[in-house]
Amino acid sequence: MNMFSRSDRTLDLNSSSLPGRPKGELPASTTTDVRPAQVSTQAAGQTAAHKQGPSIISKAVKVTGQVESTEDIQIDGEVLGDIRGNLIKIGKTAKITGTVYGEEVELAGTIDGNIEAKKVVLTSTAHMSGDLVHQELKVESGAFVNGRCRPEFGKAPEKNVHPVKPATVGREQTVLQNSGNVSASL
Amino acid sequence: MLPRLGRNQTPHDTRIGGEETVAEIGKGLTITGRLNTTGEIHVHGKILGQIMAGRLFLATDGFMQGDLVANDVRIAGRFNGRIYGRNVLLDSSAEVTGRIFHNTIVVAKGARIDGRIPWRPPNYFETLEHMWEVQS
Repeated sequence: MNMFSRSDRTLDLNSSSLPGRPKGELPASTTTDVRPAQVSTQAAGQTAAHKQGPSIISKAVKVTGQVESTEDIQIDGEVLGDIRGNLIKIGKTAKITGTVYGEEVELAGTIDGNIEAKKVVLTSTAHMSGDLVHQELKVESGAFVNGRCRPEFGKAPEKNVHPVKPATVGREQTVLQNSGNVSASL
Repeated sequence: MLPRLGRNQTPHDTRIGGEETVAEIGKGLTITGRLNTTGEIHVHGKILGQIMAGRLFLATDGFMQGDLVANDVRIAGRFNGRIYGRNVLLDSSAEVTGRIFHNTIVVAKGARIDGRIPWRPPNYFETLEHMWEVQS
């Protein structure tokens, strides 16, 4: 009861002094009376702030549908659907059915579907059945791959979009790019 | 009055603290579809669809649209849809449009609610959870 009335007061102050929200942003000008309540209401928010960083889809979680992110994702759970992101780490316990699109994909779990990424790392516990479209590929011993590997990340759509264009120029360019990539990745 | 609501249940009870597995849906993350877990989910991003979880915390920068079933629900962000929560806590920054089916609820001053807040007995939520499990 005590706590409640106190926190009530904090909120009151909050709304009158600041148009915005978080209690954490309250200036130190609040009275000492209010402080303890602040701490208690903050507690859950604080834990959340600590963990902010990569998104985590943990072990016990099952996602059915699309996952899209502009940030990094760590997946340890089950996903039925496509995943799009920047750096995608797929943990040992993860099971994915669908395509994974990303800049960088690190696979230690199981995928039933394709991976399309600039840089792909398959660790020793990786298990995938599906095609791989990549620019750089690293496979550790023990990884299971059932599918095709194509070093064509970022190129396939261009070919499809301009199939009529003079072939020679396009090919030379791709060949040059290819050789460059090979030397870079080796 | 408000203090009576907190009689059996301090804010500590409904607070969503750290447990074994916490799924973090970060700021830039959008999930379209269904999310199922018995554990805890913290949402800083965007969810369009359904969530079933043990505990859910929708942060100030989080947004969810759809149905939500969870034992403990804490909302600090924007929510649009139906909440089925045994224990619901709305922070002052919460903006909820829709229905909040609850057994116990705490609403902080400043929270915006547009819709109905129907009370349900505890066994209502048990049957609900069971139905969702069968569905998925």
